Amino acid sequence: MKISALDYAVISQGIHAAAREMGVKLIRSAYSTILREARDGSAALLDAQGRTIAQAELIPMQLGTIDAIVQPCLELYPPETLVEGDFLINNHPYHGGQHLQDVFIFNPVFFEGELIGFGASVAHHLDLGGGSAGLNPNASDVYQEGLLIPPSKYNMERDWNGGNLERLIAANIRVPTQTIGDFNAQFAANFMGGGRLKELCTKHGVDAVREAMEEMLNYTERRVRAAIEELPDGVYTGEDCIDDAAFAGQDPVWIRAKVTVKGDTIDVDFEGTDPQVACNINCPFASTQSVALSAVKVALTGSDVPFNSGLRRPITFRAPYGSILNPKPPAPVRARMIPAYRAYDAIMKALSKAAPEKVTAMGFDCTTIACLSHQEDTGFAVHIEPYGGGFGGGFDRDGCDAIDNQLSNCANTPVEALDAGYDFFRIKSYAMVADSFGHGRHRGGAGFLRSYEILKDGATFAIYSDHHKFAASGLFGGSDGSLGYCRILRGKEIITVGSKNLVNLKKGDIVEVFCGGGGGYGDPKERARSDIDHDIAEGLLTAAEADRFYQSAQAAE
Amino acid sequence: MRVGIEVGGTFTDLVAVGDGKITVTKVPSTPHSPDIGALNALKEAGIKIDTLSDLAHGSTVATNAVLERKGAKVAFVATEGFRDILFLQRHDRRSIYNIKYQKPEPVVARRDCFEVSERILANGDVVEALNEQAVREKLIPALKAGGYGAVAICLLNGYANPVHENRLLELIEESVPGLLVTRSSEIVRIFREFERASTTSLSAFVQPVIDNYLGRLESNLKEDGFKGHLTVMQSNGGRLPATAMRRSAITALFSGPAAGVVGAARQSSKSGFENLITFDMGGTSTDVCLVDNGRPALTMETEIGGLPVMTPVLDIVTVGGGGGSIAWIDDGGMLRVGPQSAGADPGPACYGFGGKLPTVTDAQVVRGAVRPEAFLGGRMKIDVEAARNAFTEIADHFGMTIDEAAESVVRLVNSNIVRAIQLVSTERGRDPRDYALVPFGGGGPLHAASIAEELGIETICIPPNAGVISAFGLLASDFVKFGNRTQKMPMKDGPVEGATIFAELRDELMEEFKQMGLPADKLEFTYTADMRFVGQAFELGVELPGDRLKSLTVKDFGDGFEEAHFRMFYHGVGANRPIEIVSFRVGATYPVGEIPDLRSTGDAAHSLVEHPVFDGGEWISCQHMASEALKTGEKIDKPTIIEGSTATTFVPAGWHAELDDASNLIMKRS
Repeated sequence: MKISALDYAVISQGIHAAAREMGVKLIRSAYSTILREARDGSAALLDAQGRTIAQAELIPMQLGTIDAIVQPCLELYPPETLVEGDFLINNHPYHGGQHLQDVFIFNPVFFEGELIGFGASVAHHLDLGGGSAGLNPNASDVYQEGLLIPPSKYNMERDWNGGNLERLIAANIRVPTQTIGDFNAQFAANFMGGGRLKELCTKHGVDAVREAMEEMLNYTERRVRAAIEELPDGVYTGEDCIDDAAFAGQDPVWIRAKVTVKGDTIDVDFEGTDPQVACNINCPFASTQSVALSAVKVALTGSDVPFNSGLRRPITFRAPYGSILNPKPPAPVRARMIPAYRAYDAIMKALSKAAPEKVTAMGFDCTTIACLSHQEDTGFAVHIEPYGGGFGGGFDRDGCDAIDNQLSNCANTPVEALDAGYDFFRIKSYAMVADSFGHGRHRGGAGFLRSYEILKDGATFAIYSDHHKFAASGLFGGSDGSLGYCRILRGKEIITVGSKNLVNLKKGDIVEVFCGGGGGYGDPKERARSDIDHDIAEGLLTAAEADRFYQSAQAAE
Repeated sequence: MRVGIEVGGTFTDLVAVGDGKITVTKVPSTPHSPDIGALNALKEAGIKIDTLSDLAHGSTVATNAVLERKGAKVAFVATEGFRDILFLQRHDRRSIYNIKYQKPEPVVARRDCFEVSERILANGDVVEALNEQAVREKLIPALKAGGYGAVAICLLNGYANPVHENRLLELIEESVPGLLVTRSSEIVRIFREFERASTTSLSAFVQPVIDNYLGRLESNLKEDGFKGHLTVMQSNGGRLPATAMRRSAITALFSGPAAGVVGAARQSSKSGFENLITFDMGGTSTDVCLVDNGRPALTMETEIGGLPVMTPVLDIVTVGGGGGSIAWIDDGGMLRVGPQSAGADPGPACYGFGGKLPTVTDAQVVRGAVRPEAFLGGRMKIDVEAARNAFTEIADHFGMTIDEAAESVVRLVNSNIVRAIQLVSTERGRDPRDYALVPFGGGGPLHAASIAEELGIETICIPPNAGVISAFGLLASDFVKFGNRTQKMPMKDGPVEGATIFAELRDELMEEFKQMGLPADKLEFTYTADMRFVGQAFELGVELPGDRLKSLTVKDFGDGFEEAHFRMFYHGVGANRPIEIVSFRVGATYPVGEIPDLRSTGDAAHSLVEHPVFDGGEWISCQHMASEALKTGEKIDKPTIIEGSTATTFVPAGWHAELDDASNLIMKRS
């Protein structure tokens, strides 16, 4: 049987709609601020082999390798051994997972007794135990980062809703009510997606649905190959560095990418990347793969090419074992977004030589995690905020201001949600900052400052971030973006926190987290005067800065 | 004489009822000032303005003001430290693999955003008083100097305690009299500052536009001797007197598609259908809405041009599939329809205005469902050959015949509409099979049967004059207003404290209606509590029995919530987790009373024409008839196309149809 163009269009769009609905319901029935407000979770529908067919467009980093994370589970528990009610779960960075907090759950979907796919979801959980609440930047191995859940199979009936696994997890974490609630939101999303898949089978027949799923992979593969084909063949290189591995007392850590374009294929090789480090900024290989896939997708294809496992077919990647992009156990991995973004930028710099009009200057491209916690009489209060920065300027437009970066897509947490949920801190300001972007024909996006007033003694603040020493680079003559910073204002004292740290706070402290802007694209001389004047009028560019970068550039002509 | 005038993008429709007859008139819209089109429609219909008792008006003036950024110059006032709320937005992206992503552009410039020093907590406590001196010395002079048309105020936690927003209003009114000021707390008392600020700024942005527009319309009408009531459609599916609307602009933002839903619901209820899924298929898009017990579903969250709006609006989902939608093959080799539309110029290929791309209308011409002689009542010449040629590329690519290609395109646009219907039904926990399908707009009734089959729907109710049902809906709609208040409490306090809030909201609404000159004793109320499990952030609305407001029980709240949660999320019943009530909403409806009859005439002579239709992969024999010829009680049990002057209906094989007493054509599966 070969399904018609029409049936294919109808079924494939039905599957996309189901995946999207899974994402909506995951977020809307969640409990923690990190899932329900920041939306740090994702969902997808997989076929019976565990390949991603369609996904809810939430967090690229999590979505990139859902298909790889289910594989170790399926090796242990082959598809044919699964029964109704089973579920697979994995958060182990050394068995296909990313970092511990992202727990991946897969619920098999059966139609008339036959396995047809999986409802899959992942959520960043607020706290999974470990050496300190929410984020333990001091961890020197993965065991100090929280509860490891190796690839395993459990059963809803037996192990959840008061069962063994649920109680085991609840006993090992600091905010069980919220976290177990978030797990339930994951299960609900998976069931919902599974239900929709079954409805499609009822309507169109299971064979047609299977065929449509196969064709969806082929479809994405074709479109990605067509996009790669447009690039000139060649070997392109790029490199970028992490500020430091502060806890390991190490200075810049280098990441190098060699991108080989040949016909309709791309190979990404991270040979020459520095070895793993003794603190939490190691990037498990699943995360590295996710970076490479997302970078190719973002740079080369239009946004209407659906992301699924078909994307993998024309792309190969490797990273030396023992390097920061493919660490050996038990290296800690909590802040894997730090090296992930440098790998992303290294690929982008390489691609900028092959596709200068498609790639932008570097954005702030760094996930900044701010974690506030306080131990109360009634238990722990934990709050985590993931932040981005400014995008890089591009060939035909300025970079977007103050937004989450490409590999992630977290929302901010409304100040009013925090005011209602936490009483040990309060957001004091949240604002874009003038002169925080790189200049060029198209400027980078502006960075922003978020500051917290601490209302109780005994609170702790943990952070990981980057670009505090080396700014986001401009491209083709554009200038660099601004550096990020984190500091505490305590009376007249200014305490520098740095990009990776854990500090104890006092009542009255003001914690400032600044996420910088993106780099500029092209020569500032070519920037339209009207754009410069507009930025000045809007208070995003000071006259002095404009004179320095644009006036002089234009006078020099 | 009662008249409804609906201003659309291309046409302005008028439905007039009086002296036992109904008049339908269509004139071209006048987009630069839509009121001229409205007045033209009255002239064209030959209506004496001094005989009008009731003029109900619907327009897209507010929507267009936002989309075209032609509203007031707005000053935005926020709590110190937060003037960038409208620009920072929620820090996320709608499209995740887009390296050149841009945020939706706010309707306020950053240079026009100001701060005042003050702070209120989530529980309403004031921790920092409003610095009035700074307001007088800095903000007021800036407002005076800025040449603003409106001010929007959104202070942190202003939803919980509006004291500072109110005080700011007084200070501004004292110093800059006449400047329109909109407070977030009067628009929507719900948490999440960006969404509330966005709603407030949009309201301020369109308020002067609506105010001017309605003022001008009122004075033009008065000049012509108008002595009746001028009322205006809102996004919530109810009307407001024009004078009240001039102070409540935000509720006009989505009024365009609302009137059609109300018209369709009212007209179908005459045939006994109260649970409906309506779909309005126009030239470029299709609007879908679900109606339960005669009441269209509402949502509190929608957006315009990407900017969030939190105000009760009909829960209408729009998909880019209309008669003008273009079929194409993407670079992965997949057949697609829309969202690009051929519009009116060049229009579909069959119009012969130079359009070469295949549209849904062309597909209907190719497959014989639209007879060239009968299109738009024969007023327009149709080029069948041009329509066929447009499908050559698609047919060749997929190895199909032209006829098959055309039918595939029709089915594909149908599947887009099916997904939109699933969005308002299955995704909201409703089974479409429990509903009757009510198609309207020019193309709706032509596509309805196939869409119903996809969804397992057994009954279709097609209103007469389906192409102008929106104008009818204006006349048929009630007066509606909502009051809401955020006040978080554990569920156990619902029966006493909650019921008190409900009663207060009800009394406030009664007072507002009194001021509009609508007696309170006729009002009907709905009572909705927005609830969630403690720790969640999104609420589900639970409607409570208003007839025993004084004897509500915790069980009323709890059972209603768990049921709603399960319907939506597939978990939660018996979860034994604490539940809280977050906000209270009361809806007041002043019924419009007797609804005018929208009837077809049935006085024309039958003239059946045989013209085959390509359906299900083959040419089948099909009769075409004029809708005016169809008589009450007449049954149709073979493939038939019914050609009306505003819409075309297809009764395919496997369906039968009958024109009932209410002039609705009821189609059922055989």
